[in-house]
Amino acid sequence: MISTNKIYTTIVIAVFTVLLSFQSYSQNWDIPANKSSKNSYIPFNNETAKAGEAIYTKNCQSCHGNPGKANSLKTLKPVPPDLSEKQTQSRTDGDLFYIITTGRVVMPSFKIVLSEEERWKVIAFIRSYNKSYVQVLSKTDPSKSKLVKIVLDFNAKNNKIRVYAKANEASGVVLLKDAEIMLFANRYFGKLQIDKTLTTNSEGYADFNFPKDLPGDKTGNIDIVVNVNDELYGEIEHQEKLNIGIPTDKPALNEQRAIWNTLLKAPIWIIVTYTSLILLVTLVLLYILNTLRKLKKIGDK
Amino acid sequence: MSEKEESPKKKSRREFLQDVGIVGVGSILAGSAIFAGINYDKKKKLGDRIKVLTAENELLEIDKNDATKVGKFKSQDLTFLQKQGREGIPGKRWVMVIDLSKCRNARKCMNACQGAHHLRPEQHHINVLKMQESKNTPPYYMPKPCQHCDNPPCVAVCPVDATFKRPDGIVLIDNERCIGCRFCIAACPYSARVFNWTEPLLNEDDKDKTYNVELNVPQRKGTVSKCLFSADRLRDGKLPYCVSACPNGVYYFGDENEDAVTNGTTKETVRLKKLLEENAGYRLMPELGTQPRVYYLPAKGKSYPFQDADKPEAEEHI
Repeated sequence: MISTNKIYTTIVIAVFTVLLSFQSYSQNWDIPANKSSKNSYIPFNNETAKAGEAIYTKNCQSCHGNPGKANSLKTLKPVPPDLSEKQTQSRTDGDLFYIITTGRVVMPSFKIVLSEEERWKVIAFIRSYNKSYVQVLSKTDPSKSKLVKIVLDFNAKNNKIRVYAKANEASGVVLLKDAEIMLFANRYFGKLQIDKTLTTNSEGYADFNFPKDLPGDKTGNIDIVVNVNDELYGEIEHQEKLNIGIPTDKPALNEQRAIWNTLLKAPIWIIVTYTSLILLVTLVLLYILNTLRKLKKIGDK
Repeated sequence: MSEKEESPKKKSRREFLQDVGIVGVGSILAGSAIFAGINYDKKKKLGDRIKVLTAENELLEIDKNDATKVGKFKSQDLTFLQKQGREGIPGKRWVMVIDLSKCRNARKCMNACQGAHHLRPEQHHINVLKMQESKNTPPYYMPKPCQHCDNPPCVAVCPVDATFKRPDGIVLIDNERCIGCRFCIAACPYSARVFNWTEPLLNEDDKDKTYNVELNVPQRKGTVSKCLFSADRLRDGKLPYCVSACPNGVYYFGDENEDAVTNGTTKETVRLKKLLEENAGYRLMPELGTQPRVYYLPAKGKSYPFQDADKPEAEEHI
């Protein structure tokens, strides 16, 4: 009786620990509900899966290995899962999209490296390993993105940029509500995100805090890029030059006088000492020559 | 009435003469145009066709008269490359940030660098070192490129102005001027420079290439070589070879004037000041006053373990 009880308790504890560990692992991702329910506007078929495979090979394979071959990189912690396994396939498309987008610990973020379309294609490839999967398409119509107009309004008093998103439908102007919106400043190698990712309010705008110390070009101009992602209208990008940065015109790094710089930019003391030394030596030589000439003259007499 | 009847008659004579004139001049013009056209075609047949190599590497044959000169193919011109290499990219101050907590000694940076600059396996523009400061502190991996100092000791000792500092902060070597005295190697406190003791790798393949000071290819026996911050890539708006090759997000690269650095792996752009402030950024050997342009973030909370096999090498530093 006692032994069976013991066995029961061990089994119960074992099951609980397994469940708990599983729970804690999946909780780690912490995916918001509205992201989890997101669906792809790209149909998952052979064509998109093939395009996704090429992206997967380039960006994901080195850690996750080939799906179904269980050859992921085991030295990493946590070990990257084989993506054909249930752990991945049981997640929603929105979950996978969120995971690829944000990354966590050793998994890098692909927010900027891959476009939204590319990320969905990778998921199309992953889903091709799940025979029982049935896709739910989102109602996004990418062709409607042309109708959207984005207006920027900078308020110098509180250093805020208000971004309006409106769609000029045939039936009239529609405000984009609850659209995800990101603001960037263009830099030489990429886009610097300003503030956080926001969503438009019921009046179709979002307010971004703009930093007061962001350098612009010589006159303070900054190229601002706005990315709007709406459930219905899809992705919209808007670019505009605003004069809201700190005017930056720093001197070249080889402009100052320094011992390592070229002859013309050498320190004054070096130029003075060097030239006077040369002069001195020349004068001494001339003096000696002159004395020799005088001696010869005396000798000739 | 009579006037009305007369006027059309008079007009018709004038009109007739006018018409004759127009037709005459017109036919002469048309004739000469056709004549010119035929002549043009004849000329064409005489063999005024030239072969043109497009940017896509397609060999085309076109009529010489149809070709418009848009410029010389710049990368083949040594004088141009030398001038461009000395001038740098105006308005920039390149800066690199190396996050030691992310490095797991994958050595992809070194491979990419050696491939780009045609280096031998033992020659390093960038090297991943195994470091340990003291017995009780943990070992870590430390990638070490040239520090591109703002007060470069190597440039100060060069007797022939072969190594120089550019307006955008990069320290380069001009192998057309280098005499191989190796003063700079002795002066560099970071051991960032290598010498071509033997005939460089791929020398046969590079024989016909024009020397590009921003890539230091072709390498030359008896000259010094070192990290160039991939000056040729920066010109195209691309991150350096090592930075984009890293699979672990170790490197950030950017422009100090823009206060922004971009991660080579995630391509995420962050503010330089904030990154250094939040992660306690530091520079190597600040006591020397060399003012490096490479910053390090300490190996705090390492994502990857230090391999046991590398421990003896790290302990050599203690």
